[in-house]
Amino acid sequence: MSAINNLALMGFDGELSVRSLNEPVSISVPAGCSFEAHLLQFDGTIDLSVSLMGADAKCAVQAVYLAADETHSVLNLNIVHNAPKTFSEQKIKGVLTDRAHMDFKGIIRIPTESQKCEGAQNHRALLLSDKALVRATPELEIFADDVKCAHGSAIAALDEKQLFYLMSRGIDETQAYHLLVQAFIMDLTPEMWMPYIEQWMAEHV
Amino acid sequence: MSLLEIKNLHAKVGEKEIIKDFSLTINAGEVHAIMGPNGSGKSTLSNIIAGHPAYTVTSGSIIFKGKDVLSMTPDERANSGIFLLFQYPTEIPGVSTAVFLKTALNAKYQFLKKEPLDAVGFMKRLNTRAKALNVSAEMLKRPVNVGFSGGEKKKMEVFQMAFLEPDFCILDEMDSGLDIDALRLLSAGVNVLREPNRSFLLITHYQRLLEYIEPDFIHIMVDGKIVESGDKSLALKLEEKGYECYK
Repeated sequence: MSAINNLALMGFDGELSVRSLNEPVSISVPAGCSFEAHLLQFDGTIDLSVSLMGADAKCAVQAVYLAADETHSVLNLNIVHNAPKTFSEQKIKGVLTDRAHMDFKGIIRIPTESQKCEGAQNHRALLLSDKALVRATPELEIFADDVKCAHGSAIAALDEKQLFYLMSRGIDETQAYHLLVQAFIMDLTPEMWMPYIEQWMAEHV
Repeated sequence: MSLLEIKNLHAKVGEKEIIKDFSLTINAGEVHAIMGPNGSGKSTLSNIIAGHPAYTVTSGSIIFKGKDVLSMTPDERANSGIFLLFQYPTEIPGVSTAVFLKTALNAKYQFLKKEPLDAVGFMKRLNTRAKALNVSAEMLKRPVNVGFSGGEKKKMEVFQMAFLEPDFCILDEMDSGLDIDALRLLSAGVNVLREPNRSFLLITHYQRLLEYIEPDFIHIMVDGKIVESGDKSLALKLEEKGYECYK
């Protein structure tokens, strides 16, 4: 397989840097620190594990995957709340076309002793082809009883009404698709990655 | 030559025939109104002219500026000069109104093989039209139709129409959900667009709209076709007698 140009920006307390995702990545977040990760996946496997080790450790993961052709991608996010009063949030959005497959697994683990934790996971995927496939497996392993945990997953096709509305104003189908796909993932994408997304759309949407 | 000519149109949604032998000719500069009871096919007709994919035309023709409309995609119809003012405008989160309008205008200029407006020209056109309809700069920054009240959505539809300068405007129940002040403002916005080269098709249940936008012709549509045509006095007769006598 050729080199996969997945992108990642991650770091602590707002100091972000580029990081390779070719190997599984494990992060420990000390008490009082905030870890944040932004991912853009085109292919291959991404494995990111984050352990929250002390009170007020926080973790926010924002991932976007764009899958086309016959690719089979895997995204594993594994968040472990190893201490009481820790907080995590995962937001994942994906766009699939052609015959692309995606396996997304998101784990939130809160052991018995980790009370007063909060964990949230939201996954949404947009299917542009009826041959594309997403398998989303949220795994919530919650053993503590005084925690807040939320998760949601939704997979849908492009909204025909929105498409017709844009086209009724003179915007052609391809451009309408581009506007709608961009609108869908925009809130999870750092501005500097827009050129990569535009290139992907130009080739695949 | 007529601007729009619909001849013996039949159309269905699923297996249900909704438009049944509908014919209508509209010349440049004319304002026509179609009135009719619920379910008579008025909104279906508007959507078919604009190219909505949910409807299948089984026979008949629609010719606009001498060209076959039915073989065109919705965007080609729009860029040829057809504009549909939606009864229920669609919300599009994540796409700002200004970006949407710029994309639409550029598409039209490209279709007409004209040079696109530069940023200054675009802003000037946007602001001029916005001011006339009391559309705030804040509204233009918001995503298309998101968070707008029913009245604001209709205002944005009229604004888009003024901005894109189409030759043929279909107003699908512009008056629904509007209070009297909004109806007055938007009707005035439509009336300033009346020109010798621009035609309108008003779709409405009520005579009230026609007090503000005076049509040249009124057609009564029942069960998929026109059952009576006349001048604006027809609306008064209708207001008195209702649609019962046509059924």
